[in-house]
Amino acid sequence: MDKIVAQYSRPSYQNVYTEQDQQELTESLPPLSLKFALPPVANVSYSNTNKVIHGLEAGCHELGVSGQSSGGPRSPSSQLWRPELPAERPSAFLRAMTDDHSNPSCPIKLAHGTTTLAFRFQGGIIVCTDSRATAGNWIASQTVKKVIPVSRLSRGEDKPTSEPTPGLLGTMAGGAADCQYWLRYLSQQCTLHEIRHKRRITVAAASKILANLTYSYKGYGLSMGTMLAGVTPQEGPALYYIDSDGTRLPGNLFCVGSGQTFAYGVLDANYRYDLTEQEALALGRRAILAAMHRDAYSGGFINLYHVKEEGWVHHGFDDMNPIFWKTKLESGEFSNVTSEL
Amino acid sequence: MAASKAIMRGPTIIKAEDDKTRQLNKNTLMAFSGEAGDTVQFAEFVQANVQLYSMRNDTELNPAAVANFVRGELARSLRSRSPYTVNLLLGGIDPTTQTPHLYWIDYLASLASVPYAAHGYAQYYCLSLLDKHHNPNIDLEQGMKLLGMCTDELKRRLPIDYKGVLVKIITKDGVKEVDFDNDKIVRSA
Amino acid sequence: MTSLMDHQARETVGYSFSESTASGVKQHGFYPYTDNGGSTLGITGSDFAILAGDTRSTSGYNINSRMVPKVFKIGGDDETGEGANIILSVVGFAADGTALKERLDTVVKMYKYQHGKPMTVSACAQRLSTILYQKRFFPYYVHAILAGLDEEGKGALYSYDPVGSYEREQCRAAGAAASLIMPFLDNQVNFKNQYIPGSGEGHALAAKKAEPLPLETVKGLVRDAFTSSVERHIEVGDNLQMVIITKDGIQEVYHPLKKD
Repeated sequence: MDKIVAQYSRPSYQNVYTEQDQQELTESLPPLSLKFALPPVANVSYSNTNKVIHGLEAGCHELGVSGQSSGGPRSPSSQLWRPELPAERPSAFLRAMTDDHSNPSCPIKLAHGTTTLAFRFQGGIIVCTDSRATAGNWIASQTVKKVIPVSRLSRGEDKPTSEPTPGLLGTMAGGAADCQYWLRYLSQQCTLHEIRHKRRITVAAASKILANLTYSYKGYGLSMGTMLAGVTPQEGPALYYIDSDGTRLPGNLFCVGSGQTFAYGVLDANYRYDLTEQEALALGRRAILAAMHRDAYSGGFINLYHVKEEGWVHHGFDDMNPIFWKTKLESGEFSNVTSEL
Repeated sequence: MAASKAIMRGPTIIKAEDDKTRQLNKNTLMAFSGEAGDTVQFAEFVQANVQLYSMRNDTELNPAAVANFVRGELARSLRSRSPYTVNLLLGGIDPTTQTPHLYWIDYLASLASVPYAAHGYAQYYCLSLLDKHHNPNIDLEQGMKLLGMCTDELKRRLPIDYKGVLVKIITKDGVKEVDFDNDKIVRSA
Repeated sequence: MTSLMDHQARETVGYSFSESTASGVKQHGFYPYTDNGGSTLGITGSDFAILAGDTRSTSGYNINSRMVPKVFKIGGDDETGEGANIILSVVGFAADGTALKERLDTVVKMYKYQHGKPMTVSACAQRLSTILYQKRFFPYYVHAILAGLDEEGKGALYSYDPVGSYEREQCRAAGAAASLIMPFLDNQVNFKNQYIPGSGEGHALAAKKAEPLPLETVKGLVRDAFTSSVERHIEVGDNLQMVIITKDGIQEVYHPLKKD
């Protein structure tokens, strides 16, 4: 009797759909046949200079690497949700539709082109990016936030606070949607880790989750080059580079994106591990400025973060133009640019 | 002015002590890179013509005149059946005003007067460095230090061994080769 | 003689692939996308958001219809969209646009029935991103813009690329005339390249700070943006649909544009 009362005294809207009904109604598509012929895609090898799409094989990668610290081996058959595929040659189809290097008249232009950098120093980790998103020659946005907080506590909009926010930072380069989506997914996984293990995830483990994920999608045409930065009690300050080839590298200093070489030029020459906090922030900002100046696909605003033991601190999202002129006029740099007409 | 010493043919370095520069007259020097064969042919053709001009007219061409002559020859060759595929850097001191000049010229015959320049992969790494550290008032010692920063960066990041660089300086007294420490070991961060 | 016989013998075997080499050139695949043209635009203010779009539908140089709205109410109680608190504009491939709108509408309604409260704009924005990304390998060929009022009652506008990367912005133009409208918006909404007169000389000149604009000004900007686009883009014209969302609800108005 109690059971019946409980069942019927609940508000009706809570009992209408089960979780599964929901899934079926929202996640699956109508039983539409997708077995039409794909547009003719020339079976030529694409040049290696194409920086956005890696790998040509469309085969399934069911190989899992054993002995991972977390996440576990992933294969397309695991419980992980996978984006819907059009037919048996997804990467060829996707390239025909979206790759503007080999097919300039392709219908779907995706956002690409970036400069991002991160480096370790005695006071923690500096993370700095530009803010431009391009689709071909069109500047799609000048205000992209390419630093994404990855953690339960700090997810969402940046809070206007000078207090450090606990958690990791991820950077995005490559496909904007790929980076946003998979860093959001990583954020979920980190939250679950926190709940299950009652402590924050290490950067090593988080980066492994992402690397396993990108590796399982190798050849499908994902495009991302990200860095994960964080300070944990187990590791201290830790910095990892992960890309859509499945590469995962720990290191002191990385620059990613079309403007990487210009940032490396400035950064390598002036980098020391024992930089002070102010020096490190200035160097990060100056390296991004260099890349914005020389690389047409980078520009907009300089987005600067400092990760330290207590968490990350945001040090501004500043228009590059006044910073450029200040740098030029006050320190006599950029002597190739004239300041008077 | 500095140029790498290696000559590569496919996967092999066939010469490690090459000089990729030619002196055009007393105070102009040209560095070149590009298609094998074209480079030296074109450089020596220009060299001969500039010297011929000097002999005929009993006067030295200034760097601006040389640069524009070179550009003109490249533009003419570009419209011929077999164009020269060479990228050039042309530096010199103007004999009358005693001011230094540097010209950046590519194989499509673009000419630009610049305070610093690079061709090939080097430009991706070095230009941002030069943007930061160059100013028109530096002396030779600071200039050599800056060059050192550039070669250090190339050693650090370029995945090929370019076998060091050959450095020549151009002053009002002419062109001379200077010693450069190519054996320095650079450690990555 | 031998060569002739060889030739005949080869023909009678009739391998399936011997044909396919010849027909390989003629083979034409089914192309799943088309661009239906048109343009959309969204601007927010301190207590409102506007989404607008023209109503022309084209394919190639043909005008198929002069009245196909591109802005939709999401999560309303009936077909008219009454009771909705979120609006969506889609431009690009109209069939994908409709599919996407239906999908999001279902999700937002389901959320309301399940939780007994309407979905917030920020939550809906993230959900739309996931919906778009679910078709990462066979994308919806659309540029979507989502608008509503946030938890503080301020105008909120989110713009998307075809595979779901999104960003909250003050203004955004999408579609055929985006490259004509967006620079105008940068200048008139975010005051890009506008300086305060007399604030200094040369590099000391202070930039004008962007502030939320009043509704009437924004309406004027939207109409100017579209009348100008009609003059210079063949895929834009016929009618301007403007959907304005305020705390009092959603108001939809149509203005005529040139029909050529």
